[in-house]
Amino acid sequence: MIEFGTLVLGIGAIVVAALGVIRIVQGPTSADRVLALDLFLTAAVALAIAAAIGTGRTVFLDVAIGLALLGFVGTIGWARLIDRAAQRSRPADDNVRSGGAKERRP
Amino acid sequence: MTETVLGVVALVFLVLGTVALLIAAWGVLALPDALARQHAATKAGTLAASLITLGAMAAAVDAGSWIRLIVILVFLFATLPVSSHMLARAAVQEQDPDDSVDEVPLAGGDRSPNAKRDGE
Repeated sequence: MIEFGTLVLGIGAIVVAALGVIRIVQGPTSADRVLALDLFLTAAVALAIAAAIGTGRTVFLDVAIGLALLGFVGTIGWARLIDRAAQRSRPADDNVRSGGAKERRP
Repeated sequence: MTETVLGVVALVFLVLGTVALLIAAWGVLALPDALARQHAATKAGTLAASLITLGAMAAAVDAGSWIRLIVILVFLFATLPVSSHMLARAAVQEQDPDDSVDEVPLAGGDRSPNAKRDGE
């Protein structure tokens, strides 16, 4: 019975990873790609948990802990990078936001 | 008897978590907007991770597995909202301010007064 649950979890996680890859390839913005990568890593954690249940070894749970750590640090890094790049590419918009538009317009 | 009950609980939690994970992936693939995709992936993804971890805790037999699964659960609960918040900030910063402010009224809060001024 638990083998059936492990099988469902493994196949579902692989399907989720495939859908995440589709979004990574399509995604119009970089934030979409990083979001799909985050979902991909959640599916990888689920797959590692399925492997731990299926084989009965706790080593795969250590793999899941490492994947969760890596996914968090990677997502934070990419998000900061996208944030900085978007701010740097629009200096005019920063002018508008800091109140420059009021002085320029009558 | 106890093993049977725990097996049924583990099976139900694992299947429900898989369904939630598939719903998260479906939302990421099908929703039209970057912030809508954010919403789908974060909420359904957190639910899926917690359900799968609880199912694995019901299926596991030794204390080492339980401790590791509790660590995974606490870590995912602590980090997923933070990373989602940072990604949402990045998505708002990355959006083009000219065309999509009206479609994301809750997200462009610091930009919408300027956009309304442009419209008038």
